[in-house]
Amino acid sequence: MLIPSPTDLTSIAPEIVLAVAAGVLLLVEAFLPGLRRLLAPITIAASLIAAWARFHFPLPGVVWGGLLSIDRVAAFVDLYILAAVLLTAWMSGAFLRRNDVDRGEFYSLLLLAAIGAMVMAASVDALTLFLGLELLSIPLYVLNGFLRGHAISIEAGLKYFVVGAFASAFVVYGFALMYGMAGSTRLEAMGQTVVDAGGLSPLMAIGLAMVVGGLGFKLALFPFHAWAPDVYQGGPTPVTAFLSVVPKGAALVALLRVVDGLDLLRLSPHWVTAAGIIAVASMTLGNIVAIVQRDIKRMLAYSGIAHMGYAMVAIIVAGIDGGAAVLVYLAAYTLMNVGAFAVVALLSEREDEPHLISELAGQGWTRPIAAFALTLCLVSLAGVPPLIGFTGKFVVFRAAVNHGFVWLAVLGVLNSLISAFYYLRVVYVMYMQPLPRRAPVFPSERSVAAVAVVAALGVVLLGVFPMPILEAAHRAILDLVR
Amino acid sequence: MLDTSLLSLVTLLPAAGALVLAVLPARPAALHRWLALGLSLVVFILSLAVWFRFDPDVPSFQLQEQLSWIPQYGISYHIGVDGISLLLVMLTTLLIPVVILASWSSIDAHVKGFHISLLLLTTGMIGAFVALDLFLFYVFWELMLIPMYFIIGVWGGPRRIYAAVKFVLFTMVGSLLMLVAILYLAWYHQLSTGAWSYDYLALATTAPRIALAGLWSPQALLFLAFGLAFAIKVPMFPFHTWLPDAHVEAPTGGSIILAGVLLKLGTYGFLRFNRTLFPAAWDFFVPLIVVLAVIGILYGALVAMVQPDIKKLVAYSSVSHLGYVMLGLAAGTVASTQGAILQMVNHGLSTGALFLLVGVVYERRHTRMIADYGGIAGIVPAYTGIFLLVTLSSIGLPGLNGFVGEFLILAGSWKVFPVAVVFAGLGIIVGAVYMLWMFQRVFWNPLVHDENRTLTDVNPRELLALAPLVVLIVWIGVHPTTFLSPMEAAVRSLLG
Repeated sequence: MLIPSPTDLTSIAPEIVLAVAAGVLLLVEAFLPGLRRLLAPITIAASLIAAWARFHFPLPGVVWGGLLSIDRVAAFVDLYILAAVLLTAWMSGAFLRRNDVDRGEFYSLLLLAAIGAMVMAASVDALTLFLGLELLSIPLYVLNGFLRGHAISIEAGLKYFVVGAFASAFVVYGFALMYGMAGSTRLEAMGQTVVDAGGLSPLMAIGLAMVVGGLGFKLALFPFHAWAPDVYQGGPTPVTAFLSVVPKGAALVALLRVVDGLDLLRLSPHWVTAAGIIAVASMTLGNIVAIVQRDIKRMLAYSGIAHMGYAMVAIIVAGIDGGAAVLVYLAAYTLMNVGAFAVVALLSEREDEPHLISELAGQGWTRPIAAFALTLCLVSLAGVPPLIGFTGKFVVFRAAVNHGFVWLAVLGVLNSLISAFYYLRVVYVMYMQPLPRRAPVFPSERSVAAVAVVAALGVVLLGVFPMPILEAAHRAILDLVR
Repeated sequence: MLDTSLLSLVTLLPAAGALVLAVLPARPAALHRWLALGLSLVVFILSLAVWFRFDPDVPSFQLQEQLSWIPQYGISYHIGVDGISLLLVMLTTLLIPVVILASWSSIDAHVKGFHISLLLLTTGMIGAFVALDLFLFYVFWELMLIPMYFIIGVWGGPRRIYAAVKFVLFTMVGSLLMLVAILYLAWYHQLSTGAWSYDYLALATTAPRIALAGLWSPQALLFLAFGLAFAIKVPMFPFHTWLPDAHVEAPTGGSIILAGVLLKLGTYGFLRFNRTLFPAAWDFFVPLIVVLAVIGILYGALVAMVQPDIKKLVAYSSVSHLGYVMLGLAAGTVASTQGAILQMVNHGLSTGALFLLVGVVYERRHTRMIADYGGIAGIVPAYTGIFLLVTLSSIGLPGLNGFVGEFLILAGSWKVFPVAVVFAGLGIIVGAVYMLWMFQRVFWNPLVHDENRTLTDVNPRELLALAPLVVLIVWIGVHPTTFLSPMEAAVRSLLG
């Protein structure tokens, strides 16, 4: 029987804060429905308090008897998950009211999913990793179907649920095999088994492949990506923003922790081939299919597939450079994506219809701030300096070049070229096409616009002055890479 | 502050101005025109201060500024000018007010957005010329992309979207591979010295040591990665196809910037980076460069000859003119290199003036077809006079700027590539033919279109925009030493 020590408890203080807030939100919904306007502020406050707690309490490293490692990597990921929660909640209030579903459950589920992601990213044990994965996934199944009146949203929820259940099964079965070989659920012990054996045994390889595949579902990596476009398109836009960054971040860091201990670069010649194919195929497929999308949310889904391909390059490189690149890339991706989806939420008439790119025609001049924020986010996604998306790509490709993966860097930059085409097409529609005769009536919600502006400012400022984020990532990764 | 960060001020003031414009209300539009014009004049005056502070006898980089940026990767904000970049910076700062004046009445939609794009573009261009850190160079280089996309795509002609997208994609193909090459250079520097650096001066000591053994060796590939980015920008045959589209569709101001400055970034890049960083590969590829340059000279001239559209004619003439610059750089003698650099400036002035002049009649008649004009010499005498002067400058009449540049290039290249010089000489003849033929058809042939009878001559604003270009065209022609002497020391040291 594990008796938690005070360090164990303070180390998960942010999670505790979020859990309490999740409960409070449900109680407000049940007993004080008149205070619904406070739901989003409570969520925002909770994420701020949780962030404060993460800074306030020391980072003890491995706690809970070896289940979690609350190190700087976990702290880094926590902070950007909390930032994503904050921005999502901030834009959700107006969005949910507009669609008549401003309910406490929404925020409560959002916080529970965040806890799941945080646990997952801090896990150094297969059990907690799986626990985190489930805690992250189940609320998201519900959130995706939250617009109950819209078939498209229900479809999104259902699809995400079916695929997610598969992914979970993959992960748990893979871990079962790895546990069978290692005799322990600790990631470190699994890694040690591989290192001792001097390579991957067949069962270990199958187990690892299943875990990578399961996490690949969450990352929407090729060939596990098919769910992403439909789910992105159908889910409520703030949820899509959250979905596009938080599970991916958690899964990437989990993958980093799994892979790092195995020393795959040295021990398994097939790893680079397999992971390289996944990375390149994700980039290429995502970028090429994104070109033909007419719905901006579907386009961003495919772009997300491509971006996880870039991140996968950093995972392959591994080590300090690769690990730091993963973290930097995630932070960059979070800002750009949340900003882009905030504008999508703002420039959308109805949620049960596709968000056609063509509907944005002429908005560059009628809604200058929102359109410019979207432009910055998209141009940054294309990797144009001096925006943060460039910083992310620079760090990833730098890591690749430094460790002899010049070919991955070359394929990566060529993919950026393809991506520039479709990102700039949105810019073209907004600025270079005239307003249609029947101009769509878009809402003008200040809070949603504010999220877009904050994200766009972050995209620019952290792009020009990337030092804080680079330093934080480098310092963090030293805690993980041994 | 003015003393120690003069160059930064010249570089970054336009971007700061763009921010100011961005927060101001979009109306009145005149506010943005005047603010941008005032700002560009201030930048020009500051660049004059750079010119006078510059010591022509010192071959190395002057007015250097270095600030820590991303120390753990060895990236710093490091800028400076030598005699070569100084001239190009001056050309840029001179052309910006000209562009704003040229766009004064022709840009009447989204005036604020136009000037924001223009000012951001200015920072990108000047920054690319003064950057002494390859990361910084890349940032400035790419910074030019999006504003130019907007300038062509929003304020351009009927096929502007196609032209804008083509411009962006072409430019990006080259620059993205250059990014990988830059990463490789830094990695190699770290391998050989143990320290991370993206600094131009540091990399220039290690990059030449990278192995060269045939086409598939690292140095050759790096050369090609950089070279592709620059060859597209120049543009060298066969990478030139974006240029006629971009030139024709861009608004007058955009064309002036494109021809005047953006193309020079390509030739400048060859000289500054390809030649210095990869000397062995440079020698290896020089024959290829010469062949492509000569093809460009002749091809550009021949295609220009048959263009019915004045603007397209000028655009193809750029392909031809930049061929001379590349030939001069490839020959690599002091005279040919100086001629090439001077010819970059000359081309900026002459072609800039030509685009401006085409814009003047286009604004009145909304056509650029040669066939729509004819016999207008008597109706717009001042316009005709200036057009003639610029035409003569472009074809290299002695006493005007084009002659000095072309003469230096051909004389300097003669000993090295005599055959190429013979072909290039042919290009000069063809160049004279298409320019004068165009001039004849526009100004002298019988007046057949009645619409042209009411053409008005250049107005004071247009004259003001043209004046500095005309003055410099004559000045360089008569007294080229003013412009050749500041770069001589730098050229000699660069050629080693």
